[in-house]
Amino acid sequence: MTTTSTDASTVPDASEIPRRKPSRRGQYSSWLYLVPALAVFAVFMFFPLARSFVLSFQGNDILGRPAGFVGAEHYLKLLQDSEFHAVLLRTIAFVVLTVVPVIAISLMLSLLLHQRIRGIRFFRTAFASPFAFSVATASVIFAVMFNQATGVLNGILGTFGIGRVGWITDPHIALISIALTTVWMQMGYNLLVLSAGLGSVPDDIIEAARLDGAGGLRLQRSIIIPLLTPQIFFLLVTGTINSLQSFGQIHILTRGGPQGSTTTLVYSIYEQAFAYGNSNFGYASAQAIVLLIVVVVITALQFGLVERKVFYQ
Amino acid sequence: MLLIFLVLIGFPVYFGFAGSLMGPGDINAYPAALWPRSGAVLRNFAGALDAIPLLRQWGNSVAMAGIITAGQMITSVLASFALVFLPMRWRTFWFFLLLSTMMVPVEAIIIPNYLFISDAGLINTLPALTLPFLAHGFGIFLLRQAFMSFPAELFDAARIDGCSNPRFLLRILIPLSRPTLMALGFWSFLMAWNMYFWPLLVTQTPQMQTIQIGITQLKSADNFNAGLVLAGTVLAVVPTLLLLIFGQRFIVRGLTGGAIK
Amino acid sequence: MIRRRTVMASMAGMAVTAPLVAGCSGGGGGSEAKAPDSGALDKADGETTVAFWHSMDGTNGDTLEKLVKAFNEKNSGKITIKPVYQGEYDDGITKYKAAVQSGSTPALVQIYDLGLQFMIDSGTVVPMQSFIDRDSYDVSDIQPNIAGYYTVADKLWSMPFNTSMPVLYYNKKLFEKAGLDPDKAPETLDEVGEAAKALSKKNDGPAEFGFNGAIYGWFVEQIIATTGELYCTPDNGRGKERASAFAFDNDAAVEFLTWWKKLVDDGIAGNTGRAPADAQDAFKSGTIGITLESTGALGGMKEAADEQDFELGVGFYPRIEKNEYGPVIGGASLYVVGEKHSDAEKEAAWKFVQFCNEPANQATWHTGTGYFPVSKKALDEPEDTKWRKDFPQFDVAIQQLDETELSTPTQGGTAGIMPQARKAVEEAWEGILQGDDPKEGLTKAVKGLQSALDQYNDSAG
Repeated sequence: MTTTSTDASTVPDASEIPRRKPSRRGQYSSWLYLVPALAVFAVFMFFPLARSFVLSFQGNDILGRPAGFVGAEHYLKLLQDSEFHAVLLRTIAFVVLTVVPVIAISLMLSLLLHQRIRGIRFFRTAFASPFAFSVATASVIFAVMFNQATGVLNGILGTFGIGRVGWITDPHIALISIALTTVWMQMGYNLLVLSAGLGSVPDDIIEAARLDGAGGLRLQRSIIIPLLTPQIFFLLVTGTINSLQSFGQIHILTRGGPQGSTTTLVYSIYEQAFAYGNSNFGYASAQAIVLLIVVVVITALQFGLVERKVFYQ
Repeated sequence: MLLIFLVLIGFPVYFGFAGSLMGPGDINAYPAALWPRSGAVLRNFAGALDAIPLLRQWGNSVAMAGIITAGQMITSVLASFALVFLPMRWRTFWFFLLLSTMMVPVEAIIIPNYLFISDAGLINTLPALTLPFLAHGFGIFLLRQAFMSFPAELFDAARIDGCSNPRFLLRILIPLSRPTLMALGFWSFLMAWNMYFWPLLVTQTPQMQTIQIGITQLKSADNFNAGLVLAGTVLAVVPTLLLLIFGQRFIVRGLTGGAIK
Repeated sequence: MIRRRTVMASMAGMAVTAPLVAGCSGGGGGSEAKAPDSGALDKADGETTVAFWHSMDGTNGDTLEKLVKAFNEKNSGKITIKPVYQGEYDDGITKYKAAVQSGSTPALVQIYDLGLQFMIDSGTVVPMQSFIDRDSYDVSDIQPNIAGYYTVADKLWSMPFNTSMPVLYYNKKLFEKAGLDPDKAPETLDEVGEAAKALSKKNDGPAEFGFNGAIYGWFVEQIIATTGELYCTPDNGRGKERASAFAFDNDAAVEFLTWWKKLVDDGIAGNTGRAPADAQDAFKSGTIGITLESTGALGGMKEAADEQDFELGVGFYPRIEKNEYGPVIGGASLYVVGEKHSDAEKEAAWKFVQFCNEPANQATWHTGTGYFPVSKKALDEPEDTKWRKDFPQFDVAIQQLDETELSTPTQGGTAGIMPQARKAVEEAWEGILQGDDPKEGLTKAVKGLQSALDQYNDSAG
């Protein structure tokens, strides 16, 4: 949907708006206002980032203490480790499996909800309700529903004579089940953002299009959706970052299993650093640096390739 | 069409509530029982409240999210005010430096942060839960964009009238930016409320855990019972659900005011 | 086929011989701390405070607090034990590692079974054996199979605290409906398989699934022990040398997983995945014929059975064939920490450990938590006999423990990376259920662990 092309040009980004000219007086006092934010970032962001980087070149003893520099050993191991390659691919697959459906479905729903039908408010609230659920609450409910032997989902399938599905016990299905949970969780938020965007589409644009003979699907595809591209782009970027960072649903539903089939990059970092008696902080830090690179590259790609097609009013 | 989606999306919500009233026979029935056939069971709720200090954990979550929200508001307002209104060399550099923090995933720095908090002896305390999140690039970005559209003449006029910076900030800028600030507050609170990985690492006792960690502990308890776990979940989710139902209009405004530039 | 050593005999022997020469620690690594002079406590000024980190929450935590309170009252003015809950087992060990780094360890710490070799290698603990030897402490009352797990190179490293064992749980009501004898639990894998077949809906039986258990690496450790084979070599890591290779791709494990896979493939057994809670929940609903679980789950199982109106049966953990071997215990134990603690603190910690082992206190512990008593005499305490009237099922577990002869296989395997090994077994198991060959799957897991084990042994050596 974000590939919908328009020939609209991009409006200059807000950061390019000309700034006020600085006077010489009060240079230092202006920096004082930055200090609180900078202090937090320095201690809990820049310093740890540097430390992550250093750790990623260090080994660890059995207590997790740094034990000498090992050069690029961890990175070489990551390059050679076929399991880690699988983790990366899985992470990307998971992002696609969550971000695309969630935007597609919530876009469709927001269009459906943008009608004047009686009781539409009830539907709006009902569809937005997943927004009230956190990662933990949503995952716990899905965990109960997914139980292979006695869970309600298989129970319902059983009513129709369909055999049991190993929702979170079959390695081929588990990642999809987690994606399903994630899509459900994200749905409410995406829907709220898109509905809000839709609400701000000026009526006269739609009226004008109608007068030109655009109706139904065409109206939606060539008029309304392009107008929603800023919202869609926003959801794409934030959704991708969120999805890359998914942890709770994996930890609660599958702990990375079965057979590692739901071990994404973030979960792999957790396993190496904190789980199963591990304290391979060095190796885990190397993976953390990879995560940082993945996030930066994907976000840059999105801004470089996709944002051009965004139609800013 | 709408009805199909209503069933698909609404079912987990419905089942969470229905299941919390079911005894082990109904919740595990095959084929499925879709309502508490053998009578509603209220003791699940008592059991959940008994197994974990749910109210206390609620309080922890509120305290944590409240402190983080307040912290982010303060740091963001100060930083964006300086970035927009005050004279500053390398303004663009500072802005992008602050903005770049948005790109750093929490998980990429979670190990050093954990080691730091642990060395400082702060594990299992409120500062451990809140300190790393007292500033956020998103808040600074959001407020900067809002302040940019603030009429510069107003600031200049205030200066000419002898209004000091802090006074301008408190008396004019903040009151006039209230919708954006509320949007930010809403966003911060929600982000903090839903945190899972970090609180899992830095809390240990049920007394210090947040509600999100608490309800998942219910699941790993020795005496596991699905209905009881769902009861805990319902107790955790009802307040946010009520907020969503009755405050939807405000939330939507917050999102449009905040989420989209 | 396996060299058998009676560990208890050598332990008892050592109790009256002189303390071991320091450094002769075998699998225990380099130098180690020794028990302080027994007068340390008397020399100390005022009250000695001992921080005690543990992982007991809920009812178990309450019972623990009760014991601590009794001890503190008895030693008022001299010793105060300060228990601090440190989260689940995994958190406990993570926290302990961090504490060693920052020099803020407690003097007494509870660590789970899988952490044994790590604790030895950490070089921070005073082996319990050195206290036992110094005081000629009478160990005859300690259940030998329980102590066996925490014994490496004939030395007891920590005092068993909370102990459980896996048993077989079955639903007597479903057994009756299926025409099986509800008073006789199936004993071998074949018998369990036959019963499960008769029970399952697939074969017109009364249960949804005849059998369902968690994919839990602990169970593979058990079947290996009950067959008299080894989990890791040499000597399950129990001898002078540290374990240098895993061996869980042996016949016992292969046969067990082949058996399990067939039940699942035939639709007789369910597959609720790794989470023990999910398998437990399924059994509690009354629709599963047989499951495997820890004795620690007994209380909850019984409660659910009453609620679902079925009678709960408990049997021995199933074997491949009957022999004198039995399952391995699991749980956690108490370590006295030497590094950075005064002699008085170590001595006070040892006093508390002794206090916990007293039969009456063990009876309190046993009845309050459902864990095994470490003390054999505790079972004769009135409090305990009364409790077991309510939970006659627990007698089966006690009998299972008593009938097991202590040997290297039933001590269980110990190695530096046990938690990872257990996870590797579980992943192999999942693969086998997906169609991998059992032998190949397990062998692949063994090989996959080798480099991590080598690395651990290198840095611990």
